[in-house]
Amino acid sequence: MLGRTQPAPTTPPPNPPAAGSAAAPSAVAAEVVAPVVVAQAIGLSKVYGTGPAMVTALDDVTVSFARGELTAIMGPSGSGKSTLMHCMAALDVPTSGRVVVDGVDLGGLKDRALTQLRRDRLGFVFQAYNLVPTLTARENITLPVDIAGARLDVAWFDTVVDTLGIRDRLGHRPNELSGGQQQRVACARALVSRPALIFADEPTGNLDSRASAEILRFLRRSVDEFGQSIVMVTHDPTAAAYADRVLFLVDGRIVGDLADPTAATVLDRMAGLEQAGRVGQA
Amino acid sequence: MLRLTLTSARGHVVRFLLTAFSVMLGVSFVAGTFVLSDSIDVTLKGLLSNSLKGVDVTVRAAGSGTGAGISSGGTPATLPLTLQQTLTAVPGAARVVPDYQGSALIAGKDGTAVGGSGGAPGLGFAFRSDSPAFTLVAGRGPTGPGEVAVEKATLEKAKLAVGDTTQVVIGDRTRTVQITGEVTFGSLFGATAVLVDEGTARTAFAPNDTVPSFSITAAPGITQAALRDAVTAVLPATAEAVTGATMQDESAATLKTGLGFFTTFLLVFAGVALFVGSFIIVNTFSMLVAQRTRELALLRAVGASRAQVLRMVLGEAAVVGLVGSGLGLGLGLLIAAGAQAAIRGFLGADIGTGLPVHTATVVWSLLVGTLVTVAAAAIPARRASRTAPMAALRADASNTTKGLRLRGTLGAAMLATGTGLLLSGLWRDDPQWMFAAVGAVLTVLGMLVAAPVAARPVVRVITWPFERFGGVIGRLARESALRVPRRTASTASALMIGLALIAAISVLAASVKASVVGTVARDITADYVLTAGAASVPQPVGVAVATLPGVRSAARIGHVGLTAGAFTTDAVAADATSLAQNFALQISSGRLDALGRDTALVDELTATAQGWTVGTVLDTTVGSLKQQPVTVAGIFQASQAFSTHLIISRELYQDAVPTGQQSDDAVYVKAAPGTDLTALRGALVTVAKPYLVVSVQDRQEFTDATGTSVDTRLNLLYVLLLFSVIVAILGIVNTLALSVVERTREIGLLRAVGLRRRQLSEMITIEAIATAVFGAVLGTVLGLGLGVALQHGLISQGVDTLAVSWPMVTTMIIASGVVGVLAAVLPSLRAVRLDILTAIATDG
Repeated sequence: MLGRTQPAPTTPPPNPPAAGSAAAPSAVAAEVVAPVVVAQAIGLSKVYGTGPAMVTALDDVTVSFARGELTAIMGPSGSGKSTLMHCMAALDVPTSGRVVVDGVDLGGLKDRALTQLRRDRLGFVFQAYNLVPTLTARENITLPVDIAGARLDVAWFDTVVDTLGIRDRLGHRPNELSGGQQQRVACARALVSRPALIFADEPTGNLDSRASAEILRFLRRSVDEFGQSIVMVTHDPTAAAYADRVLFLVDGRIVGDLADPTAATVLDRMAGLEQAGRVGQA
Repeated sequence: MLRLTLTSARGHVVRFLLTAFSVMLGVSFVAGTFVLSDSIDVTLKGLLSNSLKGVDVTVRAAGSGTGAGISSGGTPATLPLTLQQTLTAVPGAARVVPDYQGSALIAGKDGTAVGGSGGAPGLGFAFRSDSPAFTLVAGRGPTGPGEVAVEKATLEKAKLAVGDTTQVVIGDRTRTVQITGEVTFGSLFGATAVLVDEGTARTAFAPNDTVPSFSITAAPGITQAALRDAVTAVLPATAEAVTGATMQDESAATLKTGLGFFTTFLLVFAGVALFVGSFIIVNTFSMLVAQRTRELALLRAVGASRAQVLRMVLGEAAVVGLVGSGLGLGLGLLIAAGAQAAIRGFLGADIGTGLPVHTATVVWSLLVGTLVTVAAAAIPARRASRTAPMAALRADASNTTKGLRLRGTLGAAMLATGTGLLLSGLWRDDPQWMFAAVGAVLTVLGMLVAAPVAARPVVRVITWPFERFGGVIGRLARESALRVPRRTASTASALMIGLALIAAISVLAASVKASVVGTVARDITADYVLTAGAASVPQPVGVAVATLPGVRSAARIGHVGLTAGAFTTDAVAADATSLAQNFALQISSGRLDALGRDTALVDELTATAQGWTVGTVLDTTVGSLKQQPVTVAGIFQASQAFSTHLIISRELYQDAVPTGQQSDDAVYVKAAPGTDLTALRGALVTVAKPYLVVSVQDRQEFTDATGTSVDTRLNLLYVLLLFSVIVAILGIVNTLALSVVERTREIGLLRAVGLRRRQLSEMITIEAIATAVFGAVLGTVLGLGLGVALQHGLISQGVDTLAVSWPMVTTMIIASGVVGVLAAVLPSLRAVRLDILTAIATDG
């Protein structure tokens, strides 16, 4: 009754490809084997409520996320950046439009298939409350693998744990860890199942600047060294500066797309958006 | 503040309803008991005044306080029929009739006795056209020995009608009769009634010209008291006169005592259910308070005083208690109706129609339910009031887990003391039940106190297979169950109490059964036993059986009241030779065959207690014989097969009991060596058949039947205890539901990282199973211990064989697992329906 199914063999292998060197496959190698796009939204809309209470969170958004890149999504509160991420991550169901993740069209998938997709192909890092309090750090990291009933890739686990520098904390429970340590454990959990794509929702929102920098450096490293694809929602220009590309959302539409950002260019663009917003409201 | 209380209660309406539900179950027993008791009162008054209609004064033998004409086994002293002339002469006595009454059975359309062999008796009366006690509703009264009138309900049960021919057994004689009339009575309490003409009644029910009583109707204008005084003036010292009103009260009192066990029983279970329910209340409120720490702290921060917070939580408890009690009142009516049906079914007595709800019932039910709820919520409320305002600002306001060391030590100490008292109270020749009771209570309380300490190891063992084969799901479930051991333990405690009671009773039941069956099988050597259920075996059966070919001896066993000084008992009458051949009676001194007209056999315990030895001469009153010297001829060892303290001879019995009232409780038959037992059985059946209710059983059947009767009596007990188990299930549901709420974010996270819905409900189910089985294990251990102690204390009462019904124990543990699965249904439904995004975003 507690049996598990392995990931379906017909779907493309998660990135990096299983055949490649598990320890450190290069981003270039990954791009050669796998399609360039890891996930895309086509004409995505999300409407909450009806009648006068109707709120359009996403308005016909079409966007692609490249494999092996760290993409940041920015925007003011209520701009729809979290909704976009939730729809892409199979946590929320769009009102219309299509979402394709790692070659799988999410439309029409039942809860069971969606759950399996999240488990096997997606990783999550949330702003807060990322860990199960009753489990140790090690158990939290292996949780998705354990839930799937799959075999843990011990070498990969060791690589991730050592990269994050949390080996000596593995036996501890979340309440014995600092906020930064907890978030590093959450990152390790997201990485350990080698998902095609990791969604990070304000991963540094609750951390001090030092711990934030640690986490962001690690996310950057996992893209550069492991070829991991990451989508990160943030409102912090400094955090966005770690990304390969920044998407700007206002009122449910993508209004900007910035490649190779720096904190300064991000800030600059945001100031422009705010002005545009004010003009729009007037 | 009141509005806040109500709003808060509304906000957690499901949880409060579940809590109210457990209050309801407890209160329903209280209310049901009151309603039942009142309905019995009302009905008895109505029925008795009806059945004693027209009887202003009853004359009876002095000191024989009889019931409402319902024969009750004993052999009351009697009055000579000649007294009628004296009574008729009393001025103011309009009508004097002797109460001809005895046993009468009627065969229904299918040829078997109406009412069967058990339950209510079959009564026979004389038909008098002027009698106010009954009314002829169809046909005419009987005029000769070949005719009878039959009571309406009896006739319906018999599926017969006026004009039909059937068989009746009246006064030990079977005859074929025609039904000439149909009558209605005020009340028969489920008994069947057959009326015969006065001549036949006199022959059958007063063969030696004596009757138990006379009924007198007063002339117009004469009060009952005046008539009684006038009658008393002419009575001999052996008779007394009482008014009809007094008779009614006496009868009502007798019946109420008889039914009293039923109400006591229900009240005990009300107590158990409320006790078990209070655990759930404590639990629910503790969790609600813990979950609302921030809300409460915020209240404190904006200026609410401790007292206000305390009042708010207690107010919520009062609301829940009141709602639960109200619902309980309603359920109580159903329980009372069910109990009435049960009484009708088991006792055949149609008492308690209608469901009177008195103010006292309402007040008591609401009061008990509300007080228990508020009292149970007091501890969590106190904790709530101590919430520091700072807690509102703390990010993670999780449960503080206090150490369990103190609890463990205290619990262990109580357990040790309790066990010690139990052992020292019961493991001795003269059991000290007071010691034992205190010990038992201490043991149970100790177990309750120590349960959280036991939670960790026991739950680990229970969940081991799930973790071994279910992996992380099992592990998550185990850790959830152990997160707050105190909560898991108190959730399990409800089940523990219920199952402990069931286990203890099952040990006692199995032991009683084994002991009874064992002694019956060992001590009865007869080949066949003839019995007539609750009724007596008609005299001619015993006589006929004794003369059958192949019968070595037939032991006819009768009984008669015997008093020797302050010692009163029901003496058994038997004949020495047949006694020796049908029973393996252990004689410790004296001789069995010395049993004769003026001697008796006494059991060892009585002899020791009374200081009697062989040769002691007792000055006794036996039946109607006064100052009858009886010499102790032998002392025997008591046996369940022969439950009496004193045995007298048939000769003495025949002298002491009037011919018409002599009866055999049973006839034991020993076959002569070499007899064809099958043929003998056939012959016995032929003799017994005309008497409708006499059954023939061989030794094995008789032993089995004895065991079965023990079972039957205990089934009701189990059914009632099941109620406490239902309360316990509700408790598990409640705790799980609350724990799901508490873990909303965690569940959201698990779902986000890929936990399937089914895996989630598996996790919650395993947690529920762990909690339930934990309670069952503790309860079973506790119950078995108490049961063994109880059995040990009852060894001297004849419960000398310890037996544990292992299938029952196994069933209990397995069933508790099922209980866990059931209890998890609602909470896991709730959990899988949680929206992942909302769950993750949930605050605290």
